[in-house]
Amino acid sequence: MSVRVKLALTIFATGVVTALLVIATVLYAFQRFEREMTFQRATSFLMRITSTYDDVLELRRRRPDEFQAWLRSLVLYEPDTQLYLLDREGLVLASTGKVRLAPGFKVALGPVLAAMQSAKQDPGRTSFVMGDDPERMDADAVVAAEPLRGAAGGDTAGYLYLVAHRDSGAGSRWEALRSTFALPSLALIAGIVAVTTLLAAMVIASVTRPLQRLTEAVATLSKRGLEEGSASTTQTLLPQPTRDEFGQLTSAFEMMLATLRRQWSALRRLDHFRREGVSNLSHDLRSPLTATAACLETLDARWAGDASHAEDRRLVEVALRNTRNAARLVQSLGDLAKLDEPEFRLHRVDVDVGELLDDIGIRFAEPAGRKQIAVRVLPPDGAARPPYASLDIELFERAIANLIDNAMKFCAPGSHIELSARSKSAQVDVCVADDGPGIAEADLPFLFDRFFQSRQNVAPATGEGGKGLGLAIVKRIVELHGGEVTVDGAPEHGTRITLTLPAAPR
Amino acid sequence: MPPGVPPSILVAEDQTDIRDLLVMNLQAAGYSVRAVGDGVAALASQNEIASDLLILDLMMPGMDGLEVCKALRARGRSAPILMLTAKSTELDRVLGLELGADDYLTKPFSLAELLARVKALLRRADLLRAANAGAQVQTQAIRNGDLEILPAKRQVRYRAHAIDFTALEFDLLLHFASHPGHVFSRAQLLNAVWGYTHDGYEHTVTTHINRLRAKLEGDPMRPELILTVRGAGYKMREAPR
Repeated sequence: MSVRVKLALTIFATGVVTALLVIATVLYAFQRFEREMTFQRATSFLMRITSTYDDVLELRRRRPDEFQAWLRSLVLYEPDTQLYLLDREGLVLASTGKVRLAPGFKVALGPVLAAMQSAKQDPGRTSFVMGDDPERMDADAVVAAEPLRGAAGGDTAGYLYLVAHRDSGAGSRWEALRSTFALPSLALIAGIVAVTTLLAAMVIASVTRPLQRLTEAVATLSKRGLEEGSASTTQTLLPQPTRDEFGQLTSAFEMMLATLRRQWSALRRLDHFRREGVSNLSHDLRSPLTATAACLETLDARWAGDASHAEDRRLVEVALRNTRNAARLVQSLGDLAKLDEPEFRLHRVDVDVGELLDDIGIRFAEPAGRKQIAVRVLPPDGAARPPYASLDIELFERAIANLIDNAMKFCAPGSHIELSARSKSAQVDVCVADDGPGIAEADLPFLFDRFFQSRQNVAPATGEGGKGLGLAIVKRIVELHGGEVTVDGAPEHGTRITLTLPAAPR
Repeated sequence: MPPGVPPSILVAEDQTDIRDLLVMNLQAAGYSVRAVGDGVAALASQNEIASDLLILDLMMPGMDGLEVCKALRARGRSAPILMLTAKSTELDRVLGLELGADDYLTKPFSLAELLARVKALLRRADLLRAANAGAQVQTQAIRNGDLEILPAKRQVRYRAHAIDFTALEFDLLLHFASHPGHVFSRAQLLNAVWGYTHDGYEHTVTTHINRLRAKLEGDPMRPELILTVRGAGYKMREAPR
């Protein structure tokens, strides 16, 4: 879920919750307002009675039979109102209700008296009181009370107690509320929530636009890599830093990019120096090695067939072999440094890989024959399309030659090396397979690493040198061609190295 | 070159040790050798006596091997040139051949290899001279369909266009054209045209066949003139008469 959707949902939810809270608050306030109004009306009604009739108690005393009717006539125009005459202790003396109360029923006067007290002290405050409704035995009705004084005045002799109860129950009230409140108001609230959410969505979109642009810029930069994106193109890619958090993020990203670029160029510089160093070293070592090898060769030729120098010749041969190994290593190092250069370009030619393999096979037939190893180029498989690829012939031959060299080094006399090229849809598979000792599985992943030598393949120090680089060069050459190298093989089952190269477009 | 007189070789190499060793071994092999230490001297030496073969180091102070090569070819000297180079980049190699060197060796090389190359280059030059001498008797051009080769002038016309070839390319084409329809294995071509069997990393027959095709064929991937005979070698299509 995107941040935008999350934000929009959050705002929508907040809107809905807020709307519900507002409704609840309004309802609560309405209820309180309604009760307060009832209470005040009740109070003034009671006061009106007490001011009109001096002594209600006396009235009752005088005409107890008519009193109830009189009391009822008082509330004739006050719907939902029950009047009670209480004595000082709250004992019900008379009431307008039809329910017959138990004799000696007492109303709890405490809360209503306390409310009256506080209303007198602080007239501004709401003062309604929820009190006993003798008919319903709950404390859920607005009540009011007015003290009655005796004929002689003085102490409170009793109370007129008013219960304003709502006959319409909670259910019907809710219905009424819904009918008045529901459709228009709910629609309004929903509309407000929707508009708010929409507005919020627009705000979110505009606020997060820099974020999106930054994301796009980062994605573009990641795809391009550091090399391509110079400082200027980065600036145009990144959104203009604003003064908010996104601006800070953009600036931070720019800073990170600058740091990365600095470190990257430092690394590249170092790598360049390393390559150049290796290249120069390799170059500078060639002449002395040439001279040394030539000296040794001259000596060797001079002493050929001279029995008195047989011992010297043996020494010269050792020296010559080692010099040549050093020379090969130096050459491989230089070549690899060359192939690693970013500026290195292939000289591609569209060529039938099968023909090239034939060529290479001929070249190796003789040296391999000396080691009693058979090099065979498999005939084309009769595919409709000959295995054409766009290759740098020299480098490709170099790669195949390295693979054959490698195979020849480890294969016993009587082994076979097979070369084949197969055309496969958009690629050409070139295989160099042998039935030699194979490669330990643990060694396979490292086979093409520089200077890696399989343990079982370690040759004595006087052996042929530079082979730690042979397969690394193969890998690099194939990479330069946009292909890849795979090795199959297990000990005792020979080795099959496959170069997968893109086929030449036709 | 009159018989009995040893072929003369010029060695231009700025590294004294290598130069001395080359001179020593070439002399031991029976050649008459002169040696210079830079390109300018190499060029100057050719003003007096033209050598039968030149061994040039690619990197020399003053004038490098390539410039010497170019200057000599510009003067119409056709003596074979063997280039020595410490660089093993392909560009250098191709340039060496394009600019008129006949062969090259990458340092460090073995003396045996160098002597073999020298011998092969001289033999090829001899054959060429003999062919040219013969051509004076029969100045006949070789024709095969649209292909016309003038061996004496070392000129090639194909479909009425003159096409330039390097020395080796020309020799290869001439070899094919002299035996149209005949299938040559790669080994046979190496022996007949190069004069020796290459060892090392050089790409030879296929590269040169490819170059010939690139210059002659409309679509090098569907050759019409120089054909591949699978498992056997190459041949030139014999034009119907």
